[in-house]
Amino acid sequence: MVRISKNEKIFLVCVLVIEVLLSFFIKMDMSTIAEPRAKLLTIFGWQIPFNGINIATVLNTWVIMGFLVWVAFVVSRRFTPIPSRLQSLIEMYVQGFDTLCREVLGDKRGRQYMPLVSTLFVFVVLSNWIGVIPSFWRVFKGLPHWMVIEEPTRDLNTTLGLGIMCFVIAHVSGIYFKGFGKYVAEFFEPMIEIGNMRIPNLFMGILNIVGEFGKTISHSFRLFGNILGGSIIIIVISNLTKYIGLPVFLNSFFGLFVGAIQAFVFAMLALVYISLMVNE
Amino acid sequence: MEGAEIIKAAAVLGAGICMGFGAIGPGIGEGFAAGKACEGVAREPENVNLITRTMLIGQAVSESTGIYSLVIALLMLFVIK
Repeated sequence: MVRISKNEKIFLVCVLVIEVLLSFFIKMDMSTIAEPRAKLLTIFGWQIPFNGINIATVLNTWVIMGFLVWVAFVVSRRFTPIPSRLQSLIEMYVQGFDTLCREVLGDKRGRQYMPLVSTLFVFVVLSNWIGVIPSFWRVFKGLPHWMVIEEPTRDLNTTLGLGIMCFVIAHVSGIYFKGFGKYVAEFFEPMIEIGNMRIPNLFMGILNIVGEFGKTISHSFRLFGNILGGSIIIIVISNLTKYIGLPVFLNSFFGLFVGAIQAFVFAMLALVYISLMVNE
Repeated sequence: MEGAEIIKAAAVLGAGICMGFGAIGPGIGEGFAAGKACEGVAREPENVNLITRTMLIGQAVSESTGIYSLVIALLMLFVIK
């Protein structure tokens, strides 16, 4: 049973009251779904390639990264033998991912890949959860358009970047642990056997190579589509009910529950792709 | 302007049809996976963590076709003017 102190109760009630009051003023009509995001097109007179940078995504990503670095540096200094609440949460999370990685990858390599997989999970889960916080300051007019809290994973650039990162890590570690010849030969299996000769199967090779790119694309589009679809459903149904009551449950389902599940699936699939490449 | 309106109407209609048909496959697939996971838990209740994890990953993989149709539907709704 988690005990909540009096100050925290007061804080929670204040947040709830502010949220209910502000919900009457926030006008997020349906056109905000489709409107183009604010973009940074040039930097010091230099044209940014690929149609500029999405400012809201970058700022929200920096907020999450700053929070994670703060937890890693400041909170871990205060660790004690008798754990506090935050410390026992962190210990549970580290231990859970440690056992998970060692089950899939074996004792030695599981320890090597545990930091990557657990960091992916915690970054993606915080990215999915940050959209639950309403942008209070959208009530005031005249503030710049990019000052908004929204999920960085709503942007395809973030998820595709993470997916390509997992692709590169999996294949480089496959080459490193198995050797280049065996790594290439695995794409052309099953080999055609004529007598004693083993000829690489070109048809299976093409299928496997296309399948590798398809894995990366589905890996990143899954996260992107789930989060974008969930946020669109939240906005549409909140508009139908005029932001009274229902958005709380919608946010807790599509924001918190689906966000946690999808982050776990993202990290687990990264682990599985790495283990497919690394294990013999 | 009549042609543009017909294109917009066709895109909206196409988005609805795309989402409707695209939701059939993942629904059947995820339900099948969940049912089999229930059978597995009933047979071996001590392996519930492993079964749940495997079920979630399998469901997420079979969900990706539904996500593709969602992305296509969104493209048709918002990109085609």
